Amino acid sequence: MSATAPIVTVNGRPVSLREVPGDERLLDTLRWRLGLRGTKEGCRSGECGACTVLVDGAARLSCLSLSRDLEGTTVTTVEAVGDDPLGRTVQEAFAEEGALQCGYCTPGFVMALTGALRERGRSATSAELTADLAGNLCRCTGYASIVRAVERARSRSR
Amino acid sequence: MSAARRPDADAKVRGAVEFGTDLSADGMWWGALVLAPVPHGTIRAVDLSAARAIPSVVAVGAADLPRLLGGAAGDPDRPAFPGQEVVYRSQPVAAVAAESLSLAREAARAVRVEVEERSAVADLEAVFPEWPGPEAARSPHVAAHVLARHGDVDRELGGAETVVAETYRTAGVHQVALEPHACLAEIRDGRWTVRTSTQSPFGVREDVASILGIAEGSVDVEGTWVGGGFGGKGASLLEPYALLLAKEAGRPVRLALTYREEFLLGRSTLPLVARLETGVRGGRIVARRVRLLLDVGTSLPGRDFATGYSIGFLLGPYRTETFEVEGFAVRTNKPPFGPHRAPIAPQAAFVAESHLSAVARAIGADPDEFRATHLWSEGGTTNLGQRVGPFGLAAALASARARAADWRKHKPPGHGVGVGLGFWSTNTGAGGEARLTLNERELVIEQGEREIGSGSVLVGLAAVASRRTGVPAERVRVDYRGTTEAPFDSGVYGSRTVGALGRAVDEAAVGLLAELGRRLGTPAPVTLTLQDGAIAVRFGQEVRPLPPLLTPEERSGAGLVGAGRHYGQAAEIDASRVVDGTFYPYQDFTGAAHVAEVDVDTLTGAVRVVRYAAFHDAGVVLDPAAARAQVEGGVAMGLGTALTEEALWSDDGRLLNAGLLDYRIPTLGEVPPVEVTFLEGYAGAGPFGAKGLGEPPIIPVPATVAAALADAVGVHPTELPLSPERVARIVKAARPSGGTDAAHPG
Repeated sequence: MSATAPIVTVNGRPVSLREVPGDERLLDTLRWRLGLRGTKEGCRSGECGACTVLVDGAARLSCLSLSRDLEGTTVTTVEAVGDDPLGRTVQEAFAEEGALQCGYCTPGFVMALTGALRERGRSATSAELTADLAGNLCRCTGYASIVRAVERARSRSR
Repeated sequence: MSAARRPDADAKVRGAVEFGTDLSADGMWWGALVLAPVPHGTIRAVDLSAARAIPSVVAVGAADLPRLLGGAAGDPDRPAFPGQEVVYRSQPVAAVAAESLSLAREAARAVRVEVEERSAVADLEAVFPEWPGPEAARSPHVAAHVLARHGDVDRELGGAETVVAETYRTAGVHQVALEPHACLAEIRDGRWTVRTSTQSPFGVREDVASILGIAEGSVDVEGTWVGGGFGGKGASLLEPYALLLAKEAGRPVRLALTYREEFLLGRSTLPLVARLETGVRGGRIVARRVRLLLDVGTSLPGRDFATGYSIGFLLGPYRTETFEVEGFAVRTNKPPFGPHRAPIAPQAAFVAESHLSAVARAIGADPDEFRATHLWSEGGTTNLGQRVGPFGLAAALASARARAADWRKHKPPGHGVGVGLGFWSTNTGAGGEARLTLNERELVIEQGEREIGSGSVLVGLAAVASRRTGVPAERVRVDYRGTTEAPFDSGVYGSRTVGALGRAVDEAAVGLLAELGRRLGTPAPVTLTLQDGAIAVRFGQEVRPLPPLLTPEERSGAGLVGAGRHYGQAAEIDASRVVDGTFYPYQDFTGAAHVAEVDVDTLTGAVRVVRYAAFHDAGVVLDPAAARAQVEGGVAMGLGTALTEEALWSDDGRLLNAGLLDYRIPTLGEVPPVEVTFLEGYAGAGPFGAKGLGEPPIIPVPATVAAALADAVGVHPTELPLSPERVARIVKAARPSGGTDAAHPG
């Protein structure tokens, strides 16, 4: 254990982990300790992707991450992802293509696609990106409009 | 082409809408349910003392109901908690609340539940090892019995040249809305107040009052944004428990299901077995007998709607002069049956369509030609004597056949192409009301439903008001109020929102325009328009500003108010054909013909759908982007029903796959491109000729995939889903003796 207070940076703000129990999931820290409920709780077992956030820029399931393990990292949630041009582009692509219905899976998709585009860079292909999103479930759209949003975001982010 | 931007798109991509799971309140406690450990048994004890001994915990059970409800007696058939008997595994027997969720879970585990286990039966074929006769209608295992007939079926079948008899089985399916059920309850100024994620706030109010035995007028229900419904959030589920906990705790209580609980105790659609016999003479069907056993779980007698509604789908949209249909709603030790997007219709269409193809093949006819020759005709009647209004199914079938013929020309070996039909109705019989308020800035629709995702509330109702008045859709705002303030509406189900509630909106809009015409003293039709950015009144060639036409009260208040209501009348069926039970007539018919091309791996049994086309009669389409989205989403959901989704129940009522890894819904990359076409010219009874489209797209999918599979492998399936195991089995059974497995390496 470090002698200084353990800190994680969430949406640009330092958050102390001192009071956070060792078994608390990042999902619960975000939603109930910090009030960031844009990150959605679905299955809590890594099967649906609704709780996806960015940890140091990479997509990660917050339901399977323990907050105390994230000391020193930077966490970005759907509330702040639009502050970044890439995240804003992805949000716009979903809105413009109508790639949402109930909207419950949407924050997870936005975060997963933002992470995938960041990681793969300009050479990302549609096939790679849709494979990256295969762990995010949507029950409403049938994915067709989401695939169109992926394509729109990909071409805009080049 | 880019879709129109939905009014909720910007908030949803930012995660800025509040769903049921997001609710919180100052001083809130967290609830958890205590679930029955066995599927059936006599309750010996539900001992809450150990839970109550934990500081900052409350617990409630059956024994607490009289105290908490002031002696009120709820519906004795469905008490909040059972007193003597548990009838399905995971039935809530008590509930706890605590200052943290982990503490609530600990308290729930501390509740001692002692149940003397009794024999349970969860397999409907075990309830009736022999097919039941009419006397079984009075069996305690039967929640409903329906029987209708016309003509002498036995005689006609006896005189037929060919008779095809088959038995079909389909699995139970879960709705799998991504958002689990969740609500927040509190007793506010003595009123039972609950905010909840629901398809029907007024329905929840009615349920809560009935279950708790309290006056509807003392219950306030406010809907939240809904993270998917699909029928699973139509009736109350958690609200009575949350309210009891809030009453006991004296503070707000949040109660949500875990996703595992969502599977275990959510109301889902359960298995069915259907037997069909069809006689043919001279190339025409002369008689049909259809029999259905529908598993309704622990649905109460008198509360089953599914049997009398779904059995018509087993006859399909095909006319037969001589027929008999008989259905039993069979009670088993499972949670009560719940609707799932077009309840039972996708399964029934699979049965009806597959059987019709089998009959056609038995006489050497082309199945799709055989379909076309037997289809209901517009202006004709259904088998139960209901008149068929404007109906584009024949045109949809013609389009689908042309597309299938084209795809068959190019299909590679191992592929198959098939066509499937489905019909549905817009439930315009369920009533609703709306209020419109007009001022210079906007036209506001006040109504009582939350958007569940389909767009039927935010896009659909706004489209109706915009089209009627001329106010651009972006100046139409759909306002939601809870049950205390909102005009009544039945709920967002039955594909009825635009077709029924939309008619109330339309009537209110017509009333507003008429009132403006009266104030102008003009007999000319009045519409609204934008002038210099303000809503203005147009009649003839004239455009006038709105404010001078308003009273001082209207100008200083919200504006001119108009009200509309729509309480539809049920369609009529020929009562002389009904022998027993309630058959629900269909309203406004909608229909669709789908085409699928599949690639079948005959070794593993894996079926991959490579392309898909959907041809729909949805009446007059008010918003093409929203309509297309419904079809794309419904087809994907139907592919799950067709291929992978299957609730696995043990024979004694334990759900074996209560999670998303073992209950597989379609994922990105598994859904093929879906080509969507709307057939025009079949106006419905909704505003401007609209028909409902929420449910129809899922209906033909399993039938269509099964037809394509049959085309590929030469034998048709009689069970759903078309899992690799089942497909491999039927492929193997159809092979010439000796098999060819050895020819495949590895």
